[in-house]
Amino acid sequence: MSNANTPPPPTGPGSPRDVPPLAGSFPIDPGTLPKAIRDEVLAPDPVAIDTSAAELEDGLNRCPKCGATDIRHKPGGDLLVCVYCRNEWQGVRVEEEFGLGAGLDELTGTIIASGAVDIDDGAASLMSFKCSGCGAEVTVNTESQMTARCHWCRHVFGVNEQVANGAVPDAVLPFHIKKDDAVARIRQFVDKRRLFALKEFKKQFTPENVVAVYLPYMIVDGRVSADVAGRGEIETARYTRGTGNNKTTYYDADVYQVERHVDFTVDDLTLESSGERGELDTKANTNNIINTILPFDTKNAVKWNASYLTGVTSEKRDRDVEDLRPRLEDQLLSIARAQVESSVRQYGRGVRWEQERLDVHGTRWVSMYLPVWLYSYHQPGGKKGMLHYIAVNGRTGETMGSVPVQQWKLLLTALTVGTFVEGIALWMVGFW
Amino acid sequence: MDGDGALLFLLAGPASATGLYWALYRYYRNTDKSHAFERETAVDAKPVTGADADAKVSEVTGTRATRIAGDNVSAYRTRVERIRATAQQDS
Repeated sequence: MSNANTPPPPTGPGSPRDVPPLAGSFPIDPGTLPKAIRDEVLAPDPVAIDTSAAELEDGLNRCPKCGATDIRHKPGGDLLVCVYCRNEWQGVRVEEEFGLGAGLDELTGTIIASGAVDIDDGAASLMSFKCSGCGAEVTVNTESQMTARCHWCRHVFGVNEQVANGAVPDAVLPFHIKKDDAVARIRQFVDKRRLFALKEFKKQFTPENVVAVYLPYMIVDGRVSADVAGRGEIETARYTRGTGNNKTTYYDADVYQVERHVDFTVDDLTLESSGERGELDTKANTNNIINTILPFDTKNAVKWNASYLTGVTSEKRDRDVEDLRPRLEDQLLSIARAQVESSVRQYGRGVRWEQERLDVHGTRWVSMYLPVWLYSYHQPGGKKGMLHYIAVNGRTGETMGSVPVQQWKLLLTALTVGTFVEGIALWMVGFW
Repeated sequence: MDGDGALLFLLAGPASATGLYWALYRYYRNTDKSHAFERETAVDAKPVTGADADAKVSEVTGTRATRIAGDNVSAYRTRVERIRATAQQDS
């Protein structure tokens, strides 16, 4: 280990820099809380389901049977359906088509799929097509939409060609969770959080307004080696000095120089490729909510076909591979640290890692649109207020949200409980 | 009961109020949640090496601390000094 230099300040993945708690855990034993609060905390969470796609076949933007262009995604599966002749068919899984599941052990260099290449600043978001049916000009705004209909002859256009504006990814993961299901999950999530919720939020709560959005992500495979070094301590003796009430426990320990090395591959690490969504700052936004509903079953993603996005909004990718590399390395280092933890268990007094090193041997980048049901509530206040999201993973149904709180009510409850506990404490001290 | 013990006992009120406030605030706002990629990503790791080179370098005696100073063994996301190879690149 040589050539030490100070690392850049951490950016990205966990602006919530803490390792998140296990799902469903609550820091206080709910049994000790007042009944109303306990009931809310113990109510069941929306269930997240495992999904697996059925075998898939080929897909084109024209219906393979009748040639019509009015094609939609059939809710609840990966099927595309022709609105004209009701023919149904499926897209190709990119996992097999591009060989994304194989060769992780031999990954070398930086492999970038064609949909993940650098964005050309000059490429416009507005794209014009000449309608092949009637010759009219049709414009698609790729900032938010990937399909449009010719107003003259009703032909439907999809942006399928990979233009350098970042709008067309390599693959798309179609929605499996239907709107009714998403609405039910959001309702269930909020019902668990009503007692201290902001009054206006409860009044305006209409989960039916949830919108389906395809958000841009980079799916990264990597082959890396990591080294960490630090100090670990093992307790050798423990003794108590002093008498009566002045007892103090002291510890003796051996200090060890600890170094670990680990080689590993990661499969389908998911990074937000929209600058705005990747900004996880819980003081300014609630993007961490959308981050929490990861991961998706990206193995089942199908080859890009704009027809999957008919009637659904999308956000455009605005970050290139090199922009995302610091965040990738940050996450890989975190994974390395998690991997070595079990090998330092003998250091009962813990380990203080002081240095870490990462060697990235190879990475593979694929850009993908992932399906998210998004409910939002804007809480006024401050400069811009706060936009609270409740997000449902469009594949697994994992639900996470930020419910604005009625501060005075929460404070009052905390103070009341505190006063009550203090009363008991005073009573016990008096009796001592 | 001695003064220290009683004082600690009297802190129970403020401590429980603060604890309950933060627990509920996080329960509603979920500010502590993010994608647990350390646990939820498919990682295929070879066995960790280096354990046989661990060497005792010193001793501490009579400390009152129960853990090593700066213990970060579970704080995976806390970055420490990054050592970079002289010519680090994808190779």
